[in-house]
Amino acid sequence: MTDRPRFPSVSRRRLLIASSALATAALLATAGLSPALSADSPNNGGDITFLIDSLGDTWIPNNSAISSFQGHIWGHVTDKLLYVDAEGEVTPWIAERWEQNDNATEFTLHLKNGVTFSDGTPLDASAVVANLDIWYAGRKAEGINPIGLFPKTYDRAEAVDAATVKVFFKKPTLGFIPTLGYHGSILISPKTIAAPANQQADLSKTSGSGPYVVESWKEGDYVKLVKRKDYNWGPAAVGHTGPAFLDSITYKLVSEPSVRVSSVLSGQADVAYNASPQELESLKEEGFTVATPRYLGFVNGWAINTKLPPYDDVKVRQALQAGINRQEIIDTVYTPDWKLATSFIQSNVPGATDQSGLLAYNPDKAAKLLDEAGWVKGADGIRTKDGKPLLLTLHSNPYLATSKSVDELIAQQLGKIGWKVSIRAYDVVTFGQKVKYGSLAVPAYEVTRSFIDAGTVASILTNANNGENWFALDESDKALNELRDKIAGAGSAETRKPLLDELQKYVLEQGYFIPRTQIVQRIYAQSPKLKGEVYNGVAYASYYTATKSE
Amino acid sequence: MSKAYLNYAAKRLIQAAVVILLAYVFTFVVVSILPGDPITNVLNNPQNGFTPDEINEIITAQGLDKPIPVQLWTALSGFLTGDLGLSMRTNRPVATLIAEVLPSTLVLASAGLVVALLLAAVIAYGTQFLPKRFGQGLLRGFPSLFLSVPNFVIGLVLIHLFGFQLGIFRVIEPNSFWATLFAAVALGIPISAQIAEVLIANLDHESGQEYAAVARGRGLGQMRLFTKHLLKPSSLPVITVIALTIGELLGGSLITETVFGRTGLGSLVQRSVSSQDLPVLQAVVSLAAVVFVLVNLIADLAYPLLDPRVKLIGPSARRPATADEGFTDLSKAVTP
Repeated sequence: MTDRPRFPSVSRRRLLIASSALATAALLATAGLSPALSADSPNNGGDITFLIDSLGDTWIPNNSAISSFQGHIWGHVTDKLLYVDAEGEVTPWIAERWEQNDNATEFTLHLKNGVTFSDGTPLDASAVVANLDIWYAGRKAEGINPIGLFPKTYDRAEAVDAATVKVFFKKPTLGFIPTLGYHGSILISPKTIAAPANQQADLSKTSGSGPYVVESWKEGDYVKLVKRKDYNWGPAAVGHTGPAFLDSITYKLVSEPSVRVSSVLSGQADVAYNASPQELESLKEEGFTVATPRYLGFVNGWAINTKLPPYDDVKVRQALQAGINRQEIIDTVYTPDWKLATSFIQSNVPGATDQSGLLAYNPDKAAKLLDEAGWVKGADGIRTKDGKPLLLTLHSNPYLATSKSVDELIAQQLGKIGWKVSIRAYDVVTFGQKVKYGSLAVPAYEVTRSFIDAGTVASILTNANNGENWFALDESDKALNELRDKIAGAGSAETRKPLLDELQKYVLEQGYFIPRTQIVQRIYAQSPKLKGEVYNGVAYASYYTATKSE
Repeated sequence: MSKAYLNYAAKRLIQAAVVILLAYVFTFVVVSILPGDPITNVLNNPQNGFTPDEINEIITAQGLDKPIPVQLWTALSGFLTGDLGLSMRTNRPVATLIAEVLPSTLVLASAGLVVALLLAAVIAYGTQFLPKRFGQGLLRGFPSLFLSVPNFVIGLVLIHLFGFQLGIFRVIEPNSFWATLFAAVALGIPISAQIAEVLIANLDHESGQEYAAVARGRGLGQMRLFTKHLLKPSSLPVITVIALTIGELLGGSLITETVFGRTGLGSLVQRSVSSQDLPVLQAVVSLAAVVFVLVNLIADLAYPLLDPRVKLIGPSARRPATADEGFTDLSKAVTP
């Protein structure tokens, strides 16, 4: 993973990188993969057990595909139209190529021939139309939700012929193509889509076109996948297109984190999901593989409520931005596997630019800004203005296990500057009810959120197009809204790039978003016998290309 | 006797039905007044990217915004016709979910009960016949010890020792024989404590009786005295205790299942509680009420058959007298 942003503009440097990458890939393919392809190779075959902390709730594909847990299974049972790698690069998969019109309102997808779902139904244009329709609309009364992150500007899709789909949007939607590689956009057999919700909820009745099929499963217990022998349409980007090597993958629920790790250490299982950061160093020392892939999305940080005093004052927000020692968070709570935030989006997102200068720890600057804003340090070390103390209430994000530890550390850092920080930790249900963007009791909303295309960011931040109005600015910030409209209307990645850079700089300068660290939400501890797995743009591990040595 | 018996049984059955119905309604009200439900919780997860308008639309489409009495009536009318409904969390029929997990819990609970009974019998026997200097006092302390160590601690120690250190069972295959056995031990130990306590108290009482002294005087061996003379009269109250521990077996299996990674009724309840999956919770609470009421009914009805001294008194008797009342006060029924 590099921290360097990737742009499609062709430069000499880029050509050089691309050609050397290709050469390396070719070398690897001939050296590593071709022996595995021969029938009697010791690498072919094998069974692995993946220990996971939950298997989520419903298995209705639309409702479960983006679950942090069920996504692992869907990644093996289903395919997507496009592949998005860990660097956000979009490459062909089931769609071999695609075209768009100049203002990104019409797209044409050309599908691979001969692809079938495991129930025998062909994956053709009409199957893709059925999928696009249910992603956009769901069947709400039946309990089948739409895919929340699918472009809401979708109009309709048409099957031009068996291998060509035309997709229409009401407004320019540059994010459509990357969205097709997102974890929500899994291709499901039209037969399954037509089935009622309670039948879709039975995983064994769902058919995808992926390299594995569900052999058996039990709610809250395990899911066993076996390989599909006739699979022959893997994404070229992973360097392998034929059937998978491993015979079976069993996802087994073990809720106790220490039991998951101990089982892998004692050789009873192959992968433990979500080990705690503190255990990673010792695992590495014992020779186990530790992976902390980052997803494409926002970094972990706060969206500031600009309606709530004193955070309506830009100087207070800027003091907050300068008053956090981000390196200390990584050193204390995490391990060097975590990366410093360089913007409010993860550095591997195409279009992310390095704004580290705006995020440097500078307590003197923070103190000066607060002095200027009229906040005076009292005898107890807490700043006050007009008799009111400088308060910050934090609500630890229940979706991130380490959130509260980070809050506690930041409370100490800000305490030195004169802030009085209080921390509230709610469970998932209460958090969902009480903690919302821009609500009266929430000065800072802690964000953990993935997205596939940076173009959607601007609309999320503001209130346009059903946006989420993260900073409670409504229509008040003209500069931000202008950037939002320009980004939404951009017809190509080249014209969008400088706009995105400007947006990142502006949001951080204004102290609207206060980054903490880049986020790692999926942690894998893996037996050294298992090799060759691939992590995609949403940090899911795929064992399609993996092999196991005895 | 037989008419009184039938009368009694019929009354207890009606009571049981009322208890189950109340349990159903009570669960509904308690869970409904708590904020949140599985569907709204999923929609509210910011990762899913739903707008407030979309969330409201889906909630209305699902009928989740209807007043609580209307929702209760819909659920109750289904329940009375034997339809347990669909789980809100998994979208699958509640009956299927329960049928999937029940066998595993039954195996664990019955194995746990067997372990508890064996342990209790061994401890009780030891307290009667182990000489004081060989640790009788220590043995008498066991029930208190067992009761005060939470069974998840016992479970974790067993897993670590026998699963990871000695490798007797694979921790990730909780349904294997050995894993089930150790889970049963973890579940059985705290439950054995109560049974042993009651058994020891009764054995102490019985062994002080004249007939025991006579039997000893005639040179009866310890084992024979225990099994032939003391055990039967001492174990009648134990039946009541066992009936009461069924509830604990169900509750304890929740924790034991979680610790050992077994998928059973307990783990289903745990997942349903954390997501407020109302239909599943109602079904499980009703099921627990059914089991509880039935087991206690069986215990009460079995008493007169086990001990000829216990009879139903008069046609208006509400419940049989219990065994520990002795001969003299057979004339009045006392609530135990």
